[in-house]
Amino acid sequence: MIRTAARYRLLALFVLPALIVYTAFAVYPLLSSVVLSFFDSDTGSNVFVGLDNYVFLFTDQWQSERFWNALGNSLEFFLIHLLVELPIGLLMAALLTSARIRRSVGVYRTMLFIPATLSVVIVGFIWRLIINPLWGLVEFPLLGNELTALPTISLMSVWQWLGIPMVFLYTALLAIPNDVVEAARIDGANGWQVFWRIKFPLIAPQFGLIVVLTYIWTFNGFDIVYALNGSAPGPNYSTDILGTFFYRTFFGSSGQVANLDLGATVASVIFFIILVTTAAYFWVLQRRLKTYEL
Amino acid sequence: MRTTPPVIAASAAVALALGLTGCAASGGGGDADAVTITLATWRTEDTAMWEEEVIPAFEASHPGIHVEYAPVDTNDYNAAIQSQLEGGTGPDLIMCRPFDVNRQWISKGYFDDLSDLDAISSFDDTALSAWAGDDGAPYCVPVASVLAGFYYNKAIFDELGLEVPTTQQEFIDVLDAIKEDGTYAPLALGSADGWQLAYNMLYQVGPNYWKGEDGRLGLIDGSQKLTDPAFVEGFTVFDSFSDYLPNGFESISYEDMTQMFTLGKAAILPDGSWQISQVDSTGLDVGVFGAPPASAGDTRYQQEMADMAIGLNADSAQKDAATAFLEWLGTPEFQQLYVNKLPGFFSMGTEPVTYDDPLAQEFAGLKEGAELTSRLALDRLSAGQPPLDDEIWRVAQLMYNTGMSPEDATAELQAGLDSWYVPAQ
Repeated sequence: MIRTAARYRLLALFVLPALIVYTAFAVYPLLSSVVLSFFDSDTGSNVFVGLDNYVFLFTDQWQSERFWNALGNSLEFFLIHLLVELPIGLLMAALLTSARIRRSVGVYRTMLFIPATLSVVIVGFIWRLIINPLWGLVEFPLLGNELTALPTISLMSVWQWLGIPMVFLYTALLAIPNDVVEAARIDGANGWQVFWRIKFPLIAPQFGLIVVLTYIWTFNGFDIVYALNGSAPGPNYSTDILGTFFYRTFFGSSGQVANLDLGATVASVIFFIILVTTAAYFWVLQRRLKTYEL
Repeated sequence: MRTTPPVIAASAAVALALGLTGCAASGGGGDADAVTITLATWRTEDTAMWEEEVIPAFEASHPGIHVEYAPVDTNDYNAAIQSQLEGGTGPDLIMCRPFDVNRQWISKGYFDDLSDLDAISSFDDTALSAWAGDDGAPYCVPVASVLAGFYYNKAIFDELGLEVPTTQQEFIDVLDAIKEDGTYAPLALGSADGWQLAYNMLYQVGPNYWKGEDGRLGLIDGSQKLTDPAFVEGFTVFDSFSDYLPNGFESISYEDMTQMFTLGKAAILPDGSWQISQVDSTGLDVGVFGAPPASAGDTRYQQEMADMAIGLNADSAQKDAATAFLEWLGTPEFQQLYVNKLPGFFSMGTEPVTYDDPLAQEFAGLKEGAELTSRLALDRLSAGQPPLDDEIWRVAQLMYNTGMSPEDATAELQAGLDSWYVPAQ
């Protein structure tokens, strides 16, 4: 590329529209939300209080209990996705690319992806009806028991979004050329060894990426819990995740008046949790994963 | 080929321009001189009634004003209205929640003072107090109160030879008889919706033990505590119903409860008068009885809750039209129409009203011979963190789901209340 000032100006001009939209709708609200968290408007006028809102959130007797509970629940929500959705997604992708099924690959791929296209409210309501002790198939009150409510909702969410990591890893596996696999088979590798010694290392960067994306999506999660349990979710707040905790703090609920500054604080904390972990992941791990050019 | 991009660009620009003008034109529709005011409520169930009966009656007597009914689901109502009002896009007329939530909204300046309205004189002070600000001025015009009761399936009672209970022991005996028979569930009650347990069970059976208003006002002025024997007894009686809950009750929601009852699978449904139209919907023969007192001859307490009122958005652009609507709410014409088109809501005006629906008339009859009391924790006790009402929902669920004892429950609730509540002397 000829590096002249004219070229750079042209580049800037091409990028500018997208940059403006992105700044206006993503960067500016994020920054103003973080700024809002440093103020307190309870008395009617905005007073700068520094980190007081954060201290309040982490240590106040009633709010911090709800916050740490929500954080723990979000972690549980993420772990269930990590341990259930990703292995199953990987398994489905491996099966679809294993050359065992030829004619029905398209059918299975579509069927596995359809739940991801459904509305989250529909998924929640239909599953809730299926597991309802009165009208459904399950006797045990899964959604009413403190211990099983969050895993149940997490599994509903896993069922719905399974198609996403599956498609992602499927395209990654497709990119592996056949001659590498053939060479392995000639050398005497069985199916298991071919997958774990040849294919998986080759898709490791994409797999890491989908883990991080799952982390971001689950920590930002909100809709399925809200659709099923409202804004003060779960028996005894057992299904309250960070997203619903934020919603209740910022917008209020039947018993709580909206607290905009504390809500902005919660949102900023969620953002920092996601940011720090994602940055740590990319800095520490992703660089170490070898990407092979095949 | 070199000329097609400009042609494509030009046609795209024309399409965009047409689209934008289309948007602008549709925004302004309607008569040039008709004023449209919006009314926001949490009663999505009543949309048909409002749009077909009540609003046309208003528009017939007030030509030139068109009212748009804009309900929001009750679980989202508070949050939705607050964010609309903060953002300046709120409706002209807002349905008001009672007591503490409304006082918070008043202190945020959402409503206009309504002391000058003629409509205010049609209501007595008790009715207006649920929606008055700290200064004592009325901010919402009362529309309706609701009662809580126990709906019962008359056919099941006849089949099993049961009578309507008049004491708590008789109530337990009735439930035992239904449970032994095994065909029907004694109570259509689940604990998935905590507010149900509080509003339609605890706040119904409890007042017979904490003596209604005496107990409630005692908590407010600090002379009584939830850990006092009277309150613990109320909670214990609430807990005693847990033996008669259907299987899997932890997952049974409010809608499931109503369906269970209307499909004839359960004998008794603890619910509010607002459900009359739902309860009647399958043609069952339904009666209602109030929570019976501990022993024969004791005073019976009946929960009556000032439920709905309508206030004026302080930032409304159509205050004259909206005020005309509020004035109409004070007339017997509206009250007679409303309580009969929407059975289960009882007028709070000083003019007497007759009820066409027999179940509504039966419900209204529950008020006779009983001391009336509001729901326990909505006035002043839910204005701080943690709000007592929300905590009662949570603790009631724990009592049924995990067998938490009434002593532990009331101790936890009192500790939460003590952490912020300063009794109003």
